[in-house]
Amino acid sequence: MSDNVTEIDGSRYEAEVLRSAVPVVLDFYSTECPPCEALAPKFESVAEQFAGRARFIKVFRQGNRELAQKLGVTGSPTLVFFKDGVEVGERMSGEEIKKSALKAQVDALV
Amino acid sequence: MAERYDVIVIGAGPAGLAAAIYAARARLKTLVVDESVPGGQVKTTHKVSNYPGFAEDVSGKELAQAFTAQATRFGAKIAKAIEITGHELSGKMKTLTLDEEDEVEAPVVIAATGAKPRELGLPGESKFKGRGISWCATCDGAYFDGKDIHVIGGGNSAVEEALFLTQFAKSVTIIHQFDEFQAEPASVHEAYENPKIKVLLSHEPRAFHGEGSLQSVEVEDLKTKERKRLPTDGVFIFIGMVPRTDLLKGYIQLAQGGYVETSEAMETKVPGLFAAGDLRVKRFRQITTAVADGTIAALAAQKYLKEYRA
Repeated sequence: MSDNVTEIDGSRYEAEVLRSAVPVVLDFYSTECPPCEALAPKFESVAEQFAGRARFIKVFRQGNRELAQKLGVTGSPTLVFFKDGVEVGERMSGEEIKKSALKAQVDALV
Repeated sequence: MAERYDVIVIGAGPAGLAAAIYAARARLKTLVVDESVPGGQVKTTHKVSNYPGFAEDVSGKELAQAFTAQATRFGAKIAKAIEITGHELSGKMKTLTLDEEDEVEAPVVIAATGAKPRELGLPGESKFKGRGISWCATCDGAYFDGKDIHVIGGGNSAVEEALFLTQFAKSVTIIHQFDEFQAEPASVHEAYENPKIKVLLSHEPRAFHGEGSLQSVEVEDLKTKERKRLPTDGVFIFIGMVPRTDLLKGYIQLAQGGYVETSEAMETKVPGLFAAGDLRVKRFRQITTAVADGTIAALAAQKYLKEYRA
């Protein structure tokens, strides 16, 4: 994982996501999930492009069941977008997440 | 300057990787691009039982890795998680723009983009995508530990993935429109024997409901026309596939359903543009038939390249 992507566990959700000064993209991922493997390099690449302007945070779903449940996330990968402590925009999930679409959505937030 | 290849394969599923194995072994400079990781639909299939050469069941992921390793061993370059952002496939030299940055070109392009899971097109379906509705049991099955879930469909994928999901779920109800399954008898038998699996035949889903997350699936009994809402924690949809052929639209006339018509040698109407695998018009779509298509496309491409250079 590069410097531009951080991994957190559920206990850091409030501090890192809700109280972030910049928009956040939260990525729920799982093991045994090829679409998650496919998303990882795209996520890294977009994170690099928005370094300093948005935060890109990963959460390992199997280890953070409660947070996934709280946000109603039932599939991996799922990207949830936050600005000023509230969820904004459309979630993205599954194998069809395109780098250009992710970039466009983050662009609209920063 | 565009990087030059002999063959560019679009799609790293069984068809594309078989084409890459044959092309690379023929010492053609071969690039395979895929928007995901290699393996196509196989990589998320939990178990493959009918692929010759494997006496025991093999996981789809392992099979996909074996295809990939074999293609790589012969020198094919596999570029994963790549989005094709530009393309010109009609000329003698075909070019692709990858991730808005890199240009690649080759006289031969083999389109092996396969198919993606079909959506039902019902109210609530896109709203609950990732919030209770899934198309990938290996990816999302573990989310439903101890839950009561539903599987929609009655073919091989539906029945086999339902069996896989019983590892996690408390109960799995298969909803199928016909009064019997289309899946192979061996899997159907196993499903009926499994105490966690319930079966609802002659029913079709009509809508998905819930506050925030999915809470129920509305079904219609096709015999009585009666509708009811079944409470559910999650729904997995396996109702077949649709071809991924958007890229080819501008170059060839697509057949009904968006499939690609080819010659027996996998040629499209555009010289140097071949198509292989599930995106083709054909009767049976299996890993074995995809691999056969990829083989033929690569052999035909070799012949084409000889004439092209002559």
